[in-house]
Amino acid sequence: MRIVVAYKWTCDPEEATVRADGTVDWSRAKPGISTYDPVAIELARRLAEAAGAELIGVTAGPKGVGAPIASKAALGRGLDRVVIIEDDSLREAGRSELAAVLAEAIRHIGGVDLVITGDSSVDVAAKMVPTVLAGELGWPAVAEVSAVTGQAGALRVERSIPGGVQVLEISGPAVLAASADAAVPRVPGMKELLAAGKKPVEQLELAALEVPPQNAVMAVRGMSRPERKARKGQLIDTADPAAAGTELITALREAGAL
Amino acid sequence: MDFELTDEQELIREAVKEFAETEITPIAAELDRDHRFPIELIPKLAGLNLMGMPYPEKVGGAGADYVSYVIAIEEISRACASTGIIVSAHTSLATWPVYKFGTEAQKDRYLADMASGRRLGAFALTEPAAGTDAGAGTATAVLSGDEYILNGTKMFITNAPYAEVYVVFAKTDPAQGTRGISAFIVEKDTPGFSVGEAEHKLGIRGSSTPPIYLADCHIPRDALLGGDGNGFKVAMQTLDGGRIGVSAQALGIAQAALDAAVAYAKERVQFGKPIATLQAIQWMIADMATQVAAARLLVYRAASCVDKGRPYSTEGAMAKLFASETATRVADRAIQIHGGYGYTESYPVERNYRDAKITELYEGTSEAQRMVISRSYLR
Repeated sequence: MRIVVAYKWTCDPEEATVRADGTVDWSRAKPGISTYDPVAIELARRLAEAAGAELIGVTAGPKGVGAPIASKAALGRGLDRVVIIEDDSLREAGRSELAAVLAEAIRHIGGVDLVITGDSSVDVAAKMVPTVLAGELGWPAVAEVSAVTGQAGALRVERSIPGGVQVLEISGPAVLAASADAAVPRVPGMKELLAAGKKPVEQLELAALEVPPQNAVMAVRGMSRPERKARKGQLIDTADPAAAGTELITALREAGAL
Repeated sequence: MDFELTDEQELIREAVKEFAETEITPIAAELDRDHRFPIELIPKLAGLNLMGMPYPEKVGGAGADYVSYVIAIEEISRACASTGIIVSAHTSLATWPVYKFGTEAQKDRYLADMASGRRLGAFALTEPAAGTDAGAGTATAVLSGDEYILNGTKMFITNAPYAEVYVVFAKTDPAQGTRGISAFIVEKDTPGFSVGEAEHKLGIRGSSTPPIYLADCHIPRDALLGGDGNGFKVAMQTLDGGRIGVSAQALGIAQAALDAAVAYAKERVQFGKPIATLQAIQWMIADMATQVAAARLLVYRAASCVDKGRPYSTEGAMAKLFASETATRVADRAIQIHGGYGYTESYPVERNYRDAKITELYEGTSEAQRMVISRSYLR
């Protein structure tokens, strides 16, 4: 079985700061594998350990995604090899464009039985790439996946739904988006990390992939901080809980919140 | 001069930090409060190849460089200083002399298990009347036919209740002073070998340090490690490396205290604003951060000397001296920044403060480090 895990090398917004003019300062944010992608790798590893599979990481993005540390970080988590498309023109790429690039990389790899992605990326959190990628490949997409077992062409997928677990059987290749709490990713061992640099890394040229042009172009025109509403700062004396409750409800009604 | 870590060293730091935050931090306060050895962590540490990092893969280790190893000790100690010394004592004090001085038969018998973490090791040098003056030990080893018979008491033996392999020092020729000391490998459950009650300590309470007793303990002749009369050399060379591990532990404690102080200073509001806006606090943080950064440079430099095959005795002593005194100082300032809350168990800095002190004492006191350093400059 051949399993592709799509991962993202990016910065965590928690480490970025917002300037007074509303722009984001990423200079102190250290790039790493997007928070939820190790969950996808963990699901892939469990399936590979049970059924036998080659695990291939795929990523696309601007300059930096092809840095040795980025590949080692992914390979150190148990992938057998990685395929990278590093091109600065992808810096402002929309989710659809990125999905189209990933789809071409997966076609280049060939013979892929399953693609697993993280729930969403830590920086954009659009939750679009897995579904659009599936559409590009003509495969079913399943989100909120909590477990996957089985063999190529006979996959058994569990997904979390409100109140329970849905079980699906999929007879062909598919794109699965792992739910954020599907698994606790195992911590890479020291030997795995030290061996990561010896595993194969394939760089693909974006221009050579012949990604079909997008039908529409989406551009970010601006970002701004939300307006801060002045706080009322109204204090309610809670010495008498019943009276305090009445006063609170009155205040909320007057403010239009109730 | 390149001050950047390699990709592997950065990734190792991230991985150990991830493990420490998920597996060690949640139990660190409990280990300290209950004086409990984290027995459940040992197989998990071994599973990540953290129990024999600097040893070659072919002997069961991870094949990591020494800088990576000290980074791992630092990150483990940042979460829990007790766990940090458990790993360091096993790796640097117990496994190293077997790796460096063991016969092929001894390496075959012990090294793979120790370097992989399957069997925990301990180093037994200190005695009730022989601490810094290690040559004053009175434990004896008498050769009788094909056996040595060991008698004596060793104190403050890290990992003793849970170890299976002990490197024990005893005099084969008491009349020769330090030249009469020999090293031996003793296995747990050997008749005549027993472990006492663990000490109740100020800090590193999760690390168990009881005495061990040797009462007509018969061991095979081939348990001699490093040759007859070479024990003092084995001990001193082992401690040269061990103190780099302790310096990394001290660095981790200092970093933890600094992190806690920064976080608290940003949150605590007095006089209508966070205390982080007050110059008194700002200057304390600046001093603490600078000292921790300086300690880090010394610790990593000592480890780098090991990697480059350079002498590291003086560099290791400098690293331990500075990092240990930094840990004590920074933990003290961290409590000061926390004010009264820092004196309670509700905040981790009181544990950092109690844990820090031992780093100035074991594996060579700060005074012993000063002796090593001054000798290298004044000879």
